Amino acid sequence: MTADTTSASGFLPRAGFQQLIDLLAEGGRTVIGPTVADGAIVYGEVRSVADLPRGVGSEQAPGRFRLVDHADERYFAYAVGPTSWKRFVFPPTLTLAESHRDEHGHVSFGPARKEIPSLAFLGVRACEIAAMGIEDRVFLGGPYTDEDYRRRRAQALVIAVQCAEPGGTCFCTSMGTGPGIRGGHDISLVELDDGFIVTAGSEAGAAIVGRLALEETTADQVMAGADQLAAARERIGDPVVTAGLHDRLLAKLDSPHWAEIAERCLACTNCTAACPTCFCTSVSQRSDLDGHAATTERQWDFCFTKGFSAVALGGNFRPRVQDRYRQWLTHKFATWIDQFGTSGCVGCGRCITWCPVGIDVREELDRIAPPPEVIAGDGHAAEARAPRTSVFRVESVRRETHDTVTLALSTEATPDWEQSRGEFVMVSVPAVGSIPISISRRLPTGMELTVRGVGPASTILTGLEHGAEVGLSAPLGHGWPVPAAEDHDIVIVGGGMGFPPLRPVVDEILSHRGRFGDVHIYHGARTPGDLLYKEELAAWAAQGDLDVGVTVDRADATWLGRVGVVTQLFDQARWDGSKAIAFVCGPERMIQATVGTLGSHGITQDRIFISMERHMECGVGLCGHCQVGPFFVCKDGPVFSLAQLGDVFGREGI
Amino acid sequence: MARAGSTPHPRLAVVKLASCDGCQLMLLNLEDALLEIAERIDIVEFPEATTHHSSGPYDVVLVEGSVSTPEQLEQIHEIRREAKHLVTIGACATAGGIQAMRNWANHEAFRAAVYAHPEYVESLATAQPVADYVKVDAELRGCPIDAGQLMEFVTALLTGRRPNLPDEAVCAACKRAGRVCVMVAKGIPCLGPVTMTGCGALCPGFDRGCYGCFGPREQANAPSLSRQFVEMGRTPAEAGRFFAGFTGYAEPFRTVLTELGGVPGTTAIASAGPADRDHSATGASPRAGGK
Repeated sequence: MTADTTSASGFLPRAGFQQLIDLLAEGGRTVIGPTVADGAIVYGEVRSVADLPRGVGSEQAPGRFRLVDHADERYFAYAVGPTSWKRFVFPPTLTLAESHRDEHGHVSFGPARKEIPSLAFLGVRACEIAAMGIEDRVFLGGPYTDEDYRRRRAQALVIAVQCAEPGGTCFCTSMGTGPGIRGGHDISLVELDDGFIVTAGSEAGAAIVGRLALEETTADQVMAGADQLAAARERIGDPVVTAGLHDRLLAKLDSPHWAEIAERCLACTNCTAACPTCFCTSVSQRSDLDGHAATTERQWDFCFTKGFSAVALGGNFRPRVQDRYRQWLTHKFATWIDQFGTSGCVGCGRCITWCPVGIDVREELDRIAPPPEVIAGDGHAAEARAPRTSVFRVESVRRETHDTVTLALSTEATPDWEQSRGEFVMVSVPAVGSIPISISRRLPTGMELTVRGVGPASTILTGLEHGAEVGLSAPLGHGWPVPAAEDHDIVIVGGGMGFPPLRPVVDEILSHRGRFGDVHIYHGARTPGDLLYKEELAAWAAQGDLDVGVTVDRADATWLGRVGVVTQLFDQARWDGSKAIAFVCGPERMIQATVGTLGSHGITQDRIFISMERHMECGVGLCGHCQVGPFFVCKDGPVFSLAQLGDVFGREGI
Repeated sequence: MARAGSTPHPRLAVVKLASCDGCQLMLLNLEDALLEIAERIDIVEFPEATTHHSSGPYDVVLVEGSVSTPEQLEQIHEIRREAKHLVTIGACATAGGIQAMRNWANHEAFRAAVYAHPEYVESLATAQPVADYVKVDAELRGCPIDAGQLMEFVTALLTGRRPNLPDEAVCAACKRAGRVCVMVAKGIPCLGPVTMTGCGALCPGFDRGCYGCFGPREQANAPSLSRQFVEMGRTPAEAGRFFAGFTGYAEPFRTVLTELGGVPGTTAIASAGPADRDHSATGASPRAGGK
């Protein structure tokens, strides 16, 4: 903001407001602003002042919105309606990518071509600018960014209007986001009875303000604007005490209150859809009937739906409505702060007004977290980054069990991620979808993936033959901290399909065997037929400097080895865990049992690393599905130390 | 991916039980797409389109209608034996349909009142969804089903992926479409929050409440929604009646409807709950092996 831009200011008589709309629309820009539609204030295209809600206000209460007639000339005398600006920078449905597969099985992946509209947002409230700042952090602030969002956001002009007419569900004052405008806009307006105090907030805004037929703003007008802002602040009050809410909420994860809210909560998703900061999405595939040409479609998803936290084989980490409501509220007001440095709530009140049964978060919260700081929303983030999909070819297929294969995959493109310690890749099959799969071995020109056919995509992968092609992302997430484990004893415990992600750990240790102390490798499977890497396990055992144990839950006639759960391989073992580091992967229940046994050997929580399973959709921390407490499993994990997870580990419904 | 071109086309049959044929019409209404589908799938039985009859086994059977007569009860067990994948289509097949309203009433009295010679009419005391009798592999909900969901199902079948039939509230689609909540803004009772999506939130787009034709979604909190209808000024019976549509027999709509007494014309017996199922005609019991 320069001195020039702030000096562009003056009073625009009401009769001149059309000129502002016309100037905003110059160069093919579409002006989006408040309109009256379907009994509410809805953001839509505004071509003239006649489209604006002249003299229309709103009456709002939990679960209730009604338009009221103010019988005046004002255009912005309402409190925010159900639309939030996010739908214009983060569309509810979006085509992300295209993929193709020809008759020979060659596949290709590319981004979807789309035009980004040039928009001006007219009538943005302070709380809504704060929401844009929060979304900027989510989509542009991390290692991976949302290119579509960045382009839409950078295109949009923000014309803010000072709030003069708060609704009955507003609490921006408590969240520290309003009602006064404090930046993040191109132009700000203070609406008075006979016109507007117009002030530029950016160079783009100043260029427009400079062309308006403005009068000198009088001291009376400035005072009138200040008075109505003060009155608005007074009307809202400070309904929520924010100090300490983060810790208070997270200390109440076991409160009976969650079940009480679930008696009322419909899990209908209206709160999240209306929220200006909720950002979760899911992707699905659309294709022609033969699956030759497909598109990847992204749409808003909501943590209140069943599919949101579901994983393969019918598991669901948040089966109950009380789990889902707790996830939403604690994320919004607590773990959001851990992840992004601000609260996820701006106090706009939409989730209260538009809840069909009127659940009021102001009442549900004792206290709320410290106010977020507004990020100036210029939309110019660092270079956008998204995981690219590269085409890999199947070099060989090794059948491990009746439903599991290990694919060796290579690419001709030189991978730019050789040094990456990422733990998994997103594997894309055109017209079917993308699934996360852990790397089970790193190869000079690619990798091995061990895949069990449980869903459509994984079943297709297990049927691939030599020469078939699939799409792979770069390795994602944080893998096992093997270098940091040098000079320690190592305990590796893998249950079922939890063993493949641990195989690169064994590889890495074997390539520098002298750097590690004693190494114990334990693998358990349901039946002898489900055991993975049998020959490798035998070879490791024969090596003499590795302690290898294998067990099955249920034996058959051919099995001469151990029978029992994997912890029985070492619960009586004599080794001392005080200098050991453990790497554990498998079903969550098996991990819990293993952690207990490791603890009894003296391995402390900071030396136990586990890989968590959750529903992953995007793989880079932008879709929200895999959240566990303050973490996104894909981005912050999937490998965590138990100390890092704290009491999040093993908690039901989180 | 490795689907060979020589794979024989899947065999698909459409069969109808007690229904109005509206869901079959949705399949016919696919028009151009139907020709493309017919090049890839052998549609061997389709009463609304052809009189041709075939015999099983079938890869996929689309079943329209609820089980309402002893004959249909035999038929559905036979279909199950012949079908690799049994897919129920529409509110009748998935929830019992509008004819399931009789499940609250005195079946014999109805029959005597309507027919001159009730002894010629063979019907079960209740109209039940197909899943009450046999295992169902997938459902396409709605009255009628949605053409988009039908195409999605067929495309997924042909490309070997799981059909994307989300189990979320109508509200989710309604809000993605940018519609204003008719309940909050206009006080119109709407079943959207408890109803499975799939229609594209059609009714709220026409300024009326959802009447639940796709049936209850997972975790449908019908008691909370009915309390809100009362809060909005409806009597309990009126609130219950909103659930008494095409899917009123599906839980948890059934319980709310029974408790609040909203079945049209049956207020006097509503407190008795749905009629006990009379399967004496065939000796069959719902959910084979169950009690």
